[in-house]
Amino acid sequence: MKKALHYSLALALVSSIVLAGCSSNNNDNDASASSKVAAGTPTSLEFWTFNELHQKFFESMTEKWNAAYPETPIKLTATTFPYDDSHNKLLVALQSGKGAPDLADIEISKIGNYLKGDPQFVPLNDIVEPVKEKLVMSRLDNYAKDGKYYGIDYHVGAQVIYYNKEILDAAGVNADSIVTWDDFEAAGKLVLEKTGKPMTTVETTDQWTYWPMVVQHGSDFLDKDGNVTLNDQGNLDVLTYLQKLVKENVAIPAPGGFHHAEEYYGFMNGGGSASIWMPMWYMGRFTDYMPDLKGKIIIKPMPVFKQGEMRSSGMGGTGTVITNQTKHADLAKKFLEFAKVSKEGNIEIWKQLGFDPIRTDAWTDPAMNDANKYTDYFGTGIFTFLDSLKSEIAPTNIKEKTPAVSDVIKTKAMFQALNDLKDPKAVLDDAAGSIK
Amino acid sequence: MSVRKFNPQTLLLLVLFVILGAIALFPFYCLALASLKPSKELLRFGLNIKLQTDLLSWHNYSFIFSKGGAKYITWYKNSLVITAVYTVLCMLFSSMVGYGLAMYRFFGRNLIFFFVLLVMMVPIEIIMLPLYKQMIALNLIDTFSGVILPFVVAPLPIFFFRQYAAGLPKDFLDAGRIDGCSEYGIFFKIFVPLMTPAFGAMIIVQALASWNSFVWPLIVLNSGEKLTLPIGLSSLVTPYGNNYDILIAGSVLAIVPIMLVFVFFQRYFVSGLTVGGVKG
Amino acid sequence: MKWMYSQRLAPYLFVLPFVLSLTIFFVYPVLSTFIMSFQEVLPGQTHFIGWANYKNLWDESFYTALWNSSKYTFWTIVVLIPLPLALAVFLNSKRMKWSGFFRSALFVPALTSVVVAGIVFRLVFGSLDASVMNSIRHLFGFETINWLAGSTTGMLVLIILATWRYAGINIVYFMSALQSIPDELYESASIDGANTWQKFWRITLPLLKPISIYVITISIYGGYAMFTESFILWSGNRSPNDIGLTMIGLLYRHGIEKNELGLGSAIGVVLLTITMVINVIQLRLFGLFKKED
Repeated sequence: MKKALHYSLALALVSSIVLAGCSSNNNDNDASASSKVAAGTPTSLEFWTFNELHQKFFESMTEKWNAAYPETPIKLTATTFPYDDSHNKLLVALQSGKGAPDLADIEISKIGNYLKGDPQFVPLNDIVEPVKEKLVMSRLDNYAKDGKYYGIDYHVGAQVIYYNKEILDAAGVNADSIVTWDDFEAAGKLVLEKTGKPMTTVETTDQWTYWPMVVQHGSDFLDKDGNVTLNDQGNLDVLTYLQKLVKENVAIPAPGGFHHAEEYYGFMNGGGSASIWMPMWYMGRFTDYMPDLKGKIIIKPMPVFKQGEMRSSGMGGTGTVITNQTKHADLAKKFLEFAKVSKEGNIEIWKQLGFDPIRTDAWTDPAMNDANKYTDYFGTGIFTFLDSLKSEIAPTNIKEKTPAVSDVIKTKAMFQALNDLKDPKAVLDDAAGSIK
Repeated sequence: MSVRKFNPQTLLLLVLFVILGAIALFPFYCLALASLKPSKELLRFGLNIKLQTDLLSWHNYSFIFSKGGAKYITWYKNSLVITAVYTVLCMLFSSMVGYGLAMYRFFGRNLIFFFVLLVMMVPIEIIMLPLYKQMIALNLIDTFSGVILPFVVAPLPIFFFRQYAAGLPKDFLDAGRIDGCSEYGIFFKIFVPLMTPAFGAMIIVQALASWNSFVWPLIVLNSGEKLTLPIGLSSLVTPYGNNYDILIAGSVLAIVPIMLVFVFFQRYFVSGLTVGGVKG
Repeated sequence: MKWMYSQRLAPYLFVLPFVLSLTIFFVYPVLSTFIMSFQEVLPGQTHFIGWANYKNLWDESFYTALWNSSKYTFWTIVVLIPLPLALAVFLNSKRMKWSGFFRSALFVPALTSVVVAGIVFRLVFGSLDASVMNSIRHLFGFETINWLAGSTTGMLVLIILATWRYAGINIVYFMSALQSIPDELYESASIDGANTWQKFWRITLPLLKPISIYVITISIYGGYAMFTESFILWSGNRSPNDIGLTMIGLLYRHGIEKNELGLGSAIGVVLLTITMVINVIQLRLFGLFKKED
């Protein structure tokens, strides 16, 4: 029927008009705006992240900035995308040269990808170098290439160990007496004997059990030049030790495979194991998913293989970068400095996000001991404890091959060594060999 | 109901489907139950399927409709608009092309069909980057049009309509021509009604595909207020903690529109409701 | 405008939307991908490297992915075609009651958000004693197993997930096709003395052929393109020992996770070739490309 045809065409036409209408309003380019804006005219900055809390943080920092610097106000448009995909999106935008935001969060396991070729970011040396001694520089080295710093991290991610005091008490173990990994093993056997519970769980599909131990033992997956050292002696020592714990049932593979699995939370919450070693940022998992352990968890430094080794390391992390597609590099840099490099910004990071900030002179600020949900759960004095570890935070080498190495650890090495119990040397040699 | 109606075959069928239905609905039951409890409860003891009536409340839902859940409502609206427009346009174009491929023998027919299959088999991940550049060139980034247009002439429904039309009697073409109908008239007046079950099926399937679509909208859309539901729900699951409050209840509510589409359109392929000339 | 209505021109106008869409939205991207497969793609440093990507892609993970995808495709066809077909026939049968409700119930899985389905499945098939599936095993006297850690059980769970999720959709396809079969055929067959089984085998099945071909074709494609389900089950693209790694998973790993777009494109081209070849063979077999209809 002609009418049906005409109706359909009309509908198609109308839809296109409606859709075209929807598209026009958000494409204002600030092409004409320069970095020097007239006092009071807000400059638009776009920020992509994958964590709503980060978005809220930046939004609150924008308000503080606008209050402190009314002549150069900022209008922040922040969007939270799903984790993996925000990186995907950013990569596509940077590769195609268009469509990237002014600022973006990049997680540490992904930054290697963006450092390949010419990094499409604005160097941040001029806001970093003046305060070098007050920052945990290893965190900035992770996001650097050829002497240029590109990303500012939210936190140190100091590695610690969390003990379930209730279980330790039941076995008669004092956490402070565990200094070396041999002590840990002995305590573990005691806990197993007295309570029947494993001393700890190990990740078989993720890297947080293995990596900090390797780094604190003096090695790493890659060396300073980015070469693969995954199968060196240091790595082998750690993997052999971990496998020994599993064989003795002192450690069991984490239910669900890793410490962010739903199955793990339920297990640990029910008192399934006596300890877990993860970075400081894991505190949030306890408060959010393991409510029944409130008041029962104590935080201690990691054991060492021998005296003199560092008892902590910087694990995980998310750096905020400024892309080279921004039209307001100066303003963006100043804003980033305000939000994440300054002392006040870093105190806010603890208060709002519960992260251990990268600015060491913030740690001793009294504001850090104010009550919040973390102090309610774990007790006060978290930063006094952290301050004592200040000089023992081992750095890691984050290079272009990091994503590839992470990948092989997560999909093969851990599982083969700690679940299938294959020979550690063979597993590591295999893994190292497969990285091109 | 008289006993006669429950003959053994019916009983057997019912038992089978009750079991299957229970399996199919089990995850949804877990989900629905969890949405009525505080979010912490979902994982507290592993998968928690106990009723725990003392914990049940509508709190999560009222949160979604309050100010705190405003972004969820935005995602929902965006998904509704995109899905509605997409489905209508897709049905129009795909049925035309499928019909054309089935009913006529013309030069290039097999070649075009081959291309339909080819396009169907190109996974989006492969062409994502160049298609993104294309969208930039056409100024369609961050628009709903950019989300819809590249995929509105969809190969899957084209293929389906083609198969379906191929199974219908061709006599109607001749009959229509004799009656003085134009080719398009034949399509709209005769074959579209005949293909109602096909439309019923395709509307459901394509609406579902659009509603659940994730990869492409994610790449095209930049502004927070344009994001669609799958993207939004996925962003609630982060390495730093999941926003289960919105996630669980939100996932339950997300089922509603497509369920409505399904319930409404499924009658078009229910036995007994055949339309038009098929019954002779 | 008279010419628009000519019978000769009509087919071309009918297929015009597709031709336009193809030209505008697909020719450039697909060509682009093809070209990228011969390059190393990095911002500011993209350059041609000849066949290097194609030579480099034949490693262990490629074969694992190919094998996994093939196994998955095979099993989904074996399960997800006969089963929904049979269920569709049952649901359509005059002897069935409340079929509308059951149809809807079986369809719900396709609607459940991918994120949430993942949480539930990971927990149902969890490795602890308390998980649902392990509890069922205990009922039958079997031991707890780590479902998602072994190659066979992992594939089993994937197939179960796929069946749970897509059976309802395939039922929709088959049910709609069943409507195109006139009742009179069944009636006259009854008069001739045919029983239910014969009616099914000699009337229903042959007349469902066009739609069955459709379902098989999209299942082959769907099987090789599967990624989300694996991603859901293992919380990412990281199944132990790559037991859940699929072709698209591999592509994603190289193209996106490791930022090796050239290699990813090459994998994409290979995958496309494989699916295309399989489907062309399958369609030729079923006579889809014949001149006569």
